Amino acid sequence: MVISPVHYIAVPLLAAFLIPLLSKFIHKELARIVPGIVFLYSIFISITLMLQIGDKGIISEVIAGWQAPWGINLVFSPFSGFLASLMSIIGFLIWLYSYNFKKIDKEQSQKYHILQMMMVTGAIGIVLTGDIFNLFVFMEITAITAYSLTSFYRERDGAEAGFKYLLIGSFASVLILLAIMILYTQLGTLNMAEIAQKSHLIPTSLKTTIIVLFLVGFGIEAEMFPLNGWAPDAYSQSPGPIGAAFAGIVVKAGVYALVRVIFTLFDIHGAYDFLIYGGLITMIIAETSALAQTNLKRMLAYSSIGQMGFVLMAFGIGTHQAIVGALFLMFNHAIIKSLLFMSGSYLTYNSLTKQISALSGLGKKLPLVSILFGIGAFAIVGLPPFSGFWSKLYVLSAAADKNMLLLIMTILAVSIVEIIYYFRVVSTLYYGKQNPEIEIQKPSINAMVSMIALGITILVVGVYPDVITNLLENAATALTDKATYIQSVLTQNLPIN
Amino acid sequence: MNSFFLILLILLAGAAISFALGKISSIISGTVAFLSIASASVLFFTQLKNNTYIEFPLGEIQLQWGIDSFGYIFALIVLGLGSLASLYSISYMQNKERTGIFYFNFVLVITSMVGIIFSQDFISFFIFWEIMTWSSYLLIIFNKKDVKEIGVKYMIFSAIGAYSMLTAIVMIKGNYNTFLISDAIQAGAFNFTNNEYIPILLLIGFAVKAATMPLHVWAPKAYSNSPMSFTVIFSGAMSKMGVLGMALVLVRIFTFNANNEAILPNFSPIILQQTLAWLGAITAVIATLYALMQDDAKKLLAYSSIAQLGYITVGLAIGTKLSVMAALFLAIVHGIFKGALFMVAGAVERQAGTTDMTKVSGLIRKMPFTFFTALIAIIALAGIPPLGGFVGKWMLYESLITESNSYFLVILVFFSSTSAFLYCYRFLFGLFLGQEEEATKDVKEAPITMIIPMLILSVLLMVTGAYPGILFDPIAKGMETIGFNNVTWDMSVLGNIWGNSVNMIYVWLTIVIVFIAAFIFLTLKGLKGTRYVSTKDISTSGEIPLEHENLTFQINFFQPFRRAAAPMYKRSMDKIWNEIGSGLESLFNFTRKIYTGNGQTYAIFVIAFLVLMLLLKDTLFLN
Amino acid sequence: MEDLAIKILGAVLTTIMAFTVGMFYGGFVRKLTARVQNRRGPVVYQNFIDLLKLQSKTTNIAHGFMHHMAPIWMIIASLTTLMFLPILNGNLWFPNISFHGDLIFLLYMMVFGSLGMALGAGQTGNPNSAIGVTRGLSQMVGFEIPFVMSLIALMIQYKTTSIQDIMIAQNESGIWNMFSNPFAFLAALFAMFGMFRYSPFDIVGAPAELASGPVSEFGGKYLGTMMTANSIFSFFKLTLYVNLFMAGAGNINDVGIVATLIAIVILLIKTFALYMVPVFYGWVSPRYRTEQAIRYFWAWPSALGLIGIVWALI
Repeated sequence: MVISPVHYIAVPLLAAFLIPLLSKFIHKELARIVPGIVFLYSIFISITLMLQIGDKGIISEVIAGWQAPWGINLVFSPFSGFLASLMSIIGFLIWLYSYNFKKIDKEQSQKYHILQMMMVTGAIGIVLTGDIFNLFVFMEITAITAYSLTSFYRERDGAEAGFKYLLIGSFASVLILLAIMILYTQLGTLNMAEIAQKSHLIPTSLKTTIIVLFLVGFGIEAEMFPLNGWAPDAYSQSPGPIGAAFAGIVVKAGVYALVRVIFTLFDIHGAYDFLIYGGLITMIIAETSALAQTNLKRMLAYSSIGQMGFVLMAFGIGTHQAIVGALFLMFNHAIIKSLLFMSGSYLTYNSLTKQISALSGLGKKLPLVSILFGIGAFAIVGLPPFSGFWSKLYVLSAAADKNMLLLIMTILAVSIVEIIYYFRVVSTLYYGKQNPEIEIQKPSINAMVSMIALGITILVVGVYPDVITNLLENAATALTDKATYIQSVLTQNLPIN
Repeated sequence: MNSFFLILLILLAGAAISFALGKISSIISGTVAFLSIASASVLFFTQLKNNTYIEFPLGEIQLQWGIDSFGYIFALIVLGLGSLASLYSISYMQNKERTGIFYFNFVLVITSMVGIIFSQDFISFFIFWEIMTWSSYLLIIFNKKDVKEIGVKYMIFSAIGAYSMLTAIVMIKGNYNTFLISDAIQAGAFNFTNNEYIPILLLIGFAVKAATMPLHVWAPKAYSNSPMSFTVIFSGAMSKMGVLGMALVLVRIFTFNANNEAILPNFSPIILQQTLAWLGAITAVIATLYALMQDDAKKLLAYSSIAQLGYITVGLAIGTKLSVMAALFLAIVHGIFKGALFMVAGAVERQAGTTDMTKVSGLIRKMPFTFFTALIAIIALAGIPPLGGFVGKWMLYESLITESNSYFLVILVFFSSTSAFLYCYRFLFGLFLGQEEEATKDVKEAPITMIIPMLILSVLLMVTGAYPGILFDPIAKGMETIGFNNVTWDMSVLGNIWGNSVNMIYVWLTIVIVFIAAFIFLTLKGLKGTRYVSTKDISTSGEIPLEHENLTFQINFFQPFRRAAAPMYKRSMDKIWNEIGSGLESLFNFTRKIYTGNGQTYAIFVIAFLVLMLLLKDTLFLN
Repeated sequence: MEDLAIKILGAVLTTIMAFTVGMFYGGFVRKLTARVQNRRGPVVYQNFIDLLKLQSKTTNIAHGFMHHMAPIWMIIASLTTLMFLPILNGNLWFPNISFHGDLIFLLYMMVFGSLGMALGAGQTGNPNSAIGVTRGLSQMVGFEIPFVMSLIALMIQYKTTSIQDIMIAQNESGIWNMFSNPFAFLAALFAMFGMFRYSPFDIVGAPAELASGPVSEFGGKYLGTMMTANSIFSFFKLTLYVNLFMAGAGNINDVGIVATLIAIVILLIKTFALYMVPVFYGWVSPRYRTEQAIRYFWAWPSALGLIGIVWALI
């Protein structure tokens, strides 16, 4: 069998159909195991394809034999490939972590694992697809699974958070769909490469309208201020590992879409500035809001929003180095925030309110989890020798190249705020008074494995960033090199037999 | 294997092993820490030759490590003091909890400081700098006292410093496309003609660690609340990293000016120089005033450290040959005497349970060696001849008067160092002299592993007083490395540019001769008739004090002085910062309220934003 | 070898002279003060009698090591400062080792004794002593400020930190510093009031309320040694002032014995005249509280010192 990007989508979909059958007729446990196997397979594809594109450049595949621009195609470029690989890996780790996660097991764990798998699949689809309508479809898959996972614990708060997410998310769907419709009426194509090629044909006023619709639509998914009202609730009410998945996977897909629209589809300079300012405002507001939180998960949620603002801003700077930095930030945010959500949910496992004060003195009772949380906290604020430092350095250095002194100052001022609230948690964790009443929950072995894997990644990348920078460089080149993208999508299409 | 890596590896391994052994025994863990630091020091001073460099790439970034004569000065402080402090902490940390974490971070701080000294490029410099910051943070809150306030304050100010440094670093990269310190210097990154933000931002970064006004507010509590064996390093060596950086930057600014005085059109370097010097002097004055009001010996020393760093800042900022020499000399000597004093405070804390001077007093007979160290170190701190402290102070004054016309600055500095006599006396009196209290009846002398490092430091102070040339040698070489030429020095004669001098050998000779003569005379005369009595046997106008009668005088010690200097105590930088902090916090609380938690509001946000964007779309995207 | 012998002889002679003069000056003041207060007063050589009495006591009370060391610190300070002070002009007589020290050094050496003494007083455990010490040290912070200002003014004026150079410069120009920079002189003079601790600045060792303060636990050989040290130190301080502001012993061109004696007499006249200033001021002043004293020094004297510096700069 030839390995192709289609497997990313086809295999999980197939599995999703089979799982109910398998679990019914063979063994119940299979419903939980199969998604893991699917994720492992995705990682396998990722590795194979990443090795392939080293030789071939961009791989573009068409589903059902139609040539681009008419067929629905998947594009595995260094950029989208990097994100797809990242999502597969994070997806696998989250599956590993949530296998045996007691609280989920109390509810229906089969559903959970299928939903989680579909959510990741949707996100990977967004990243890989070369067709704008397909992108919308995948986004809907992701969004719907995300809504249901948000209200997975069937409690009032969860339902409310899910509803808010749904409400705002439906805005996104409508706006994106509207934009696609206008686009289609103007150009008669849905293939992104072709749109990019022909985008100058659209009248400018209409073009800006489309852009605004896209920006607002994807901005909602990418948690841009003021469109991110759903996010804190969704993060804090969903199960712990899903918080990690939101931060590590779903938002990344939103950011991808936003970036794809701005970088590839249209050529409008003002959009970059929009990204910078939008990102900056998002960052400032989210980080300062995080400072006042007493709830750990909400704090992490706001921090996550802030980080996404930072990513958008880095993309907005637009130079090659800035994009490398932005991708590095995405990578770091995926691994670090996942680790924080994972360890954080064990630290607040038995606390109903998830207050930071509930962590007081747990450093002694849960030493390993606490250290992992500490590593995560140190890394996310960008202290060397953890991986977060390098991404910050790349972005700042790119900003300095463009002489954006004020921007640098603002980023760093916000970082100070970040330091304050993360260190507050860490110091409570280690130096707070122990509360004897709080029962702790020892993490299961598989959860430990996945957290330690993340922790080690943070350290390894922090000490020796070269393990990742090559990938990032290629990905950044692929994103900025619009011509190659268009050309390879439109000419080099290997139909699947 | 390369000695640079080997030294750092030994230290890192020491950190890891002592962390692992912390659970088993604090003594073993401490011994491992000591051995790793000591062996790294031995390796450093025997294997590394000056001016050796290695380069290796990290991705696109070229890193360079090396050791030059300038870094060597600070290596002396870090490794010398580090070895002694780790020896000291074996007993100090005995039977305490979580020693693994303590030694891990302790060795890590030393490692990162050695790393800073090695770093010849900004990236490794910054990485080690930040490691130093967070590992010291974990030590500051180690005692679990006021964790939130102290830790957060330290981190905020460290972050302000670190991030202004980072901004400068990326700006250097942006402007000169290099991360190497030597390249940046050659490109003129530190002088004001090209970009004035870079040196200013760097200086802010270093000033935080050197606890210069107004960025000093983290220091008093951070110094006094960390375990004493770490404060030895913290105040003695870590603050010197700020001095290292400041010297590096300032000297570049000013020597450039000295050579090109006529060409340079703007006066901003001179303004900066004066500002920094005045800030240093004001720091010294204010910290001294606060030091003499403290009742806790640790806090007293903490404020005193800030004051001493103020002198060093003044010296560096003035930037003449003698003043920089004075500053670097003071930096080393401050490391020695403040290290010794914090060791003394730690010994008292361990033996008597507290360093609160209203509770402990009259320890001189119980802890004679500790007292001896304290006495010598205090004499040096006060800058009284003939110890090392005087040499530094003398050079500082002379440079201010003779080389830079900073007459008003010198008054400020002098005021601070005269007032310093008050707290110097307070420290000795509070802990060691005065009435012997019932509560401290059973106090014993500290164990030998604590006494040895203290005595070594005292001897060093005497040697540097008689033969300051021992330190002038590396300092002069270092100064030549960073851009001065022809730095002259003499083994024990101090001189200024007007040709006046002080010969320390003659000073020592006179003092020793008079001392021996007077001591023999006073001791032998009426030897049999001399009666040694307790502190209760005193003249109290004919009344004989009873056992329970309280004759201790420790509270409101310098009240008259406080009354006289009352206006100077009115404002406190700490309060101002706290007000700024709480103001910001309420602002943030306001922004947080944007997230109301109401789905409808969020929907309105989305719609409003959409409408706004549609209205503004052309102006936003079409220009 | 002969050179060294002469030097040692000079040092010994200087010490003896300083001691004798200091003791006599003390006696004079006691006598004069008594007369002003309408008493008969002790004989002029009363101080010598007191010293003899103190040194001949057979039992002494010692409170410990620092207490034992206190007089030693004081005598070290007195003699070291004296050795680094040029006594007569031209340095042919009693130059001692004044080539090897300068004003800043002397400034710091001068506090050596008081701090050592303070430590000794502290060890006794007598609260009166400690209170006296805190007052003394606080007051010292007061008067050192105008003093150092006037010294800086002189240093700027002559571009030197050496006392000899200042003396020589005054003799060459023929104008005493007290006239060439009157502000600096006045500031220094005010500081001198504090230095000598006569009324109104005698709260440090106020006999009535503090039982003489710092010295209250010292007796016998200890008090005797301290008295010796104090006398020498008084002479040192006066000579320092005369050297700085009144051109030392004046111009000596002749190196003969007679000329030297005349120079010494001139020096004695000058020092005595200077000494009378704080004494007279003390007679007419009530006692200041410590904070009042500090405020006093930080007000007009310091302002004068500042003017002195500006004057020297112009």
